[in-house]
Amino acid sequence: MKLPGRFLMTLLLYVLRRLAYMAPVLLGVTVLAFLISHAIPGDPAQLIAGPKASRETVENIRRTHGLDQPLPAQYWRFLHGLSQGDLGVSIRSHRPVLEDIRDYLPATLELTLASLLLCLGLGIPLGILAAVKRNTVVDHLTRVFSVIGVSTPVFWLGLMLLLVFYRHLGWLPGSGRLDVTMAAPLRITGMYTVDALLAGDWQALRNAASHLLLPAFCLSYVYLAIITRIVRSSMIAVLGQDYIVTARANGLSEARVVLKHAFKNSLIPTVTIVGLSFGELMGGAILTETIFSWPGMGKYVVDSVNYLDFPAIMGFTLMVSLAYVCVNLAVDVLYAAINPTIRY
Amino acid sequence: MKRLLRVALCLLLACYAGQSVWAGTETLVVGVSSDIHTLDPGVSSDNYDWRQIYPCYDRLVRYKVMDGKGSTEVEPSAAESWEVSPDGLIWTFRIREGITFADGTKLDAEAVRFSLQRTLDIGKGPADNIGAIDVMRVIDPMTLEITLKNPYGPFLQTLATNGASIINPKIMQHAKDNDLAQAWLAGNMDGSGPFRMVEWLRGQRFVLEANKDYWGGAPALDRVIIRFMPESADRRMALERGDIDIAENVLIDQIPALEQNPEISVERHASQLVEYVYINTQKDKLKDKQVRQALSYAVDYQGIIDFVLQGNGVQMRGPVPLGMWGHKPDVFQYTRDVDKAKALLKDAGAEGLELTLIYSERRPSWEQIATIMQANFAQIGVKLNLQLLANPTLRDQVDKGDFELCLGAWSPDFADPYMFMNFWFDSGLWGLPGNRSFYQNEQVDALIREAAAKADVAERTRLYHQAQDVIMEDAPYIFLYQVQTIVPLHKNVHGYVFNPMLESMYNFESITKN
Amino acid sequence: MLTLRILSRNPSAAAGGGILAVMVCMALLAGVLAPYEPVEINLSERLQGPGADHWFGTDEMGRDIFSRIMYGARISLRIGFFVVAIAGGLGALIGATAGYLGGWVDNLMMRVMDVIISFPSLVLAMALAAAMGPSLNNAILAVAFVMIPKFARMVRGEALAVREMPFVLASRVAGAGHAWIILRHILPNCLNSVIVLATLTLGDAILIAASLSFIGLGAQPPMPEWGAMISVGRKFLMDQWWYATFPGLFILFTVVGFNILGDALRDVLDPRIRR
Repeated sequence: MKLPGRFLMTLLLYVLRRLAYMAPVLLGVTVLAFLISHAIPGDPAQLIAGPKASRETVENIRRTHGLDQPLPAQYWRFLHGLSQGDLGVSIRSHRPVLEDIRDYLPATLELTLASLLLCLGLGIPLGILAAVKRNTVVDHLTRVFSVIGVSTPVFWLGLMLLLVFYRHLGWLPGSGRLDVTMAAPLRITGMYTVDALLAGDWQALRNAASHLLLPAFCLSYVYLAIITRIVRSSMIAVLGQDYIVTARANGLSEARVVLKHAFKNSLIPTVTIVGLSFGELMGGAILTETIFSWPGMGKYVVDSVNYLDFPAIMGFTLMVSLAYVCVNLAVDVLYAAINPTIRY
Repeated sequence: MKRLLRVALCLLLACYAGQSVWAGTETLVVGVSSDIHTLDPGVSSDNYDWRQIYPCYDRLVRYKVMDGKGSTEVEPSAAESWEVSPDGLIWTFRIREGITFADGTKLDAEAVRFSLQRTLDIGKGPADNIGAIDVMRVIDPMTLEITLKNPYGPFLQTLATNGASIINPKIMQHAKDNDLAQAWLAGNMDGSGPFRMVEWLRGQRFVLEANKDYWGGAPALDRVIIRFMPESADRRMALERGDIDIAENVLIDQIPALEQNPEISVERHASQLVEYVYINTQKDKLKDKQVRQALSYAVDYQGIIDFVLQGNGVQMRGPVPLGMWGHKPDVFQYTRDVDKAKALLKDAGAEGLELTLIYSERRPSWEQIATIMQANFAQIGVKLNLQLLANPTLRDQVDKGDFELCLGAWSPDFADPYMFMNFWFDSGLWGLPGNRSFYQNEQVDALIREAAAKADVAERTRLYHQAQDVIMEDAPYIFLYQVQTIVPLHKNVHGYVFNPMLESMYNFESITKN
Repeated sequence: MLTLRILSRNPSAAAGGGILAVMVCMALLAGVLAPYEPVEINLSERLQGPGADHWFGTDEMGRDIFSRIMYGARISLRIGFFVVAIAGGLGALIGATAGYLGGWVDNLMMRVMDVIISFPSLVLAMALAAAMGPSLNNAILAVAFVMIPKFARMVRGEALAVREMPFVLASRVAGAGHAWIILRHILPNCLNSVIVLATLTLGDAILIAASLSFIGLGAQPPMPEWGAMISVGRKFLMDQWWYATFPGLFILFTVVGFNILGDALRDVLDPRIRR
């Protein structure tokens, strides 16, 4: 696709404007996160000090972590650190939040990417199939499948999957990222399946993949349902358009018409949905990670809230919100690339 | 290009990486419920952290093992011997020769002084345990003299706690901004114990390797893998499949299934862990001891033990648990008596009472106990509201005394009734520090404070017994039960010793597998 | 009325309505139909499998799961309606004000909505519920808060169009105040879309509220909330499959009901909204 120079310029300006927009929103997110997390009654110093600590000890811990300072001062300290790329030190793990994130993020990334792959890999063909075989049994079955998908509680689906595939059939492992006696593959990305693939370690790859399968499916099901629906409806819209009719009249094979012409145009709404669903995917990841004991960011943040680990909560929300706005920006840019008629 | 090179390099490395699977009888795998937070002995006040830290360090004294059972008495460890002055204030320890840290540094009197002083200077949870120490003096390289602030009966016991672990003084090279190397020790260890840390994959597992040069003899196991598996059902399944050798904290309802498995033995040990209800004695009607007695009479203790614990526990008799000296076997014990409870409430003019019980998800049994208590109280005409709170919120309310009833669990850090009698009833420790019923009784205060300052066990027992009679009459807590720790393990694991002082901790150095 | 007639001829709307009717009946008649008291403890019958006495088995306190599920329908439906009423009401008001007034008010309000949207919603609801203290009402407020932007954004879009309509301009010329115009003209014209979105959101609201209860921040025991039941049932999953399975099935049914009814409503009332 060759893009004209002027178009690129406008696009660039648009991206810059959007970036300038992002700053206040992200700042707002940190304020909200700070206010709410500090509104939770409780004192992390009491938790670190242990169940039998004396008052002096608790007071001392409060001082070392700066928890005795007034809230505005604490928030200012956070911003100050942030401006230097420092997210602060986790109260719970006693080490920089960034290091914690580095340890936990790859697991979540692996899980979400795998489910995205499942979504697209299954959702697009299913959607196309449903559109092509419109109003047949296949279409109706797909519809039932997707209505159930958007209506299933993620945590319950996870439990049912465990019950069937782990407890009764014993086909797949029920927790963790690797078998306990298996050494983790050499860290490159931190995503075990990818690392194992890069290292050519087939045994580790098989093992990591088998651990990944259930949680990834559990997380993907809702979005799989949504994407199937979207692809179906946009395909139906496109299939009725003039140029498709022309293409057919020109004697192109049906498969070619569907895959080449119609499918390309149904990509736009699909991309939008992927962007919009990102936030919910994170929410789903929290529940999925809890059910499958997947050591990722979701579990990390739940533990952080339970421990009132303020720096960790702030770091997590900032990261996720940043990812959210970036993904949406990318979606909009992609939009423009797929369909150059859109102008900003 | 760079990336391509890196991939190629990794491929090459992978060829050399060789065996990627640990297994066999040299490796012990333990499935545990939660990840850990820090490895710093001077910071951690959590038994789950101690599980990893304890085997990597030595301490001056250790708990004796008698007939394969863990006892609450201590014996020499890194200290060869010690003497104490007649007034109980000055302790002189002779350090054992020939103990070295991994880098060859000698464990001497200075290392001990450094470690204890560091814990005291950091001033976090563990400092409270050894807080009796006033000053320390290195007399010669292998002799340390410790002077206490005042005579303190349980002092020797406190030296066996995790916070008294002896750290290599060389860690100070990692210190940053006067942090006494806290940042470094949070994720690393440098001790002289029978094991060393190999790997900590957060949220996944912790790997320990045997220290073959350990002065007390090399451990039989080469390696211990501690696997973090938050779900009890998961630990149970993994144990049955043989993926793990020991499963920790398996829910009681899953135990019967394990007991039917011929490859697994389920060990039950009397623990010192008790569960009880704090009654806020400073709140309205609860100030009246008749009301508190009525509540104590209302609870169906046996029902709770039979159904919630499936029989794996005994009702508490007084605050000091069975198995700890100072336990008074004939002290008054409340049993369920609905009529008596109603009569007491009537006398106190507290009919139609409405109370709120708070609890958290810390112990899986609490929700069931709370529900049963709700039904029990209804029978004596007390409406009980239940409130499940997040752990930090719960502790905050307990500390401020902003509650009526609250479920709690307690286990001693060292083997002395002080852990129960002084923590629970001293009116100077209101709130989180220990006295969670905000109880105040001058007679009890005097008795337990006197007992704490004495060294003579018989005399202390007498004082503690006397206090217990008063306390049971005052009923500041509802004393529920003392739990049994249930440890399911594979039959090929031998030599595991349970010590009630070392809850959730293991004697990896003497465990074998065949 | 016309709407209703069209709806009744739509088979999926009928199916959705049918499911919901069953749920509502269950909720209303639980007191009559449930074979047991939902909070009645019977320790000698704990963890019994499904059978003639207990259709869906019993839980760890020996309570009848079927009866608890029936009473639970009350809670879940209540959560759904209150969440949507609060979020829909506030969201519509914010959206209408922002869209009608435009300018810096619009900018500010929509940026605040952006902040809420880019916050991971479950974490936000979790923190809010923890801050206000765990109770059913607070969970409802927390979930409603998270859902406000959804309504606000949609209504704002509609308000932008409505405010240029002749009748709005006319009343402005006639000297009507902003508040009066928003309440009298803007909001009523957005009502259809709000109703459609509300029906579609009801299902989501029930799901998020159940998730909150699942992580211990919603309904308090011994309330038979479905999410909370699954949360406890999870501990017994490996041996007592029925405990977590049945409440989940009922969440699924209810949400399916709202979703297909909402889809059908959208087709009839407001063809413009597309998901």
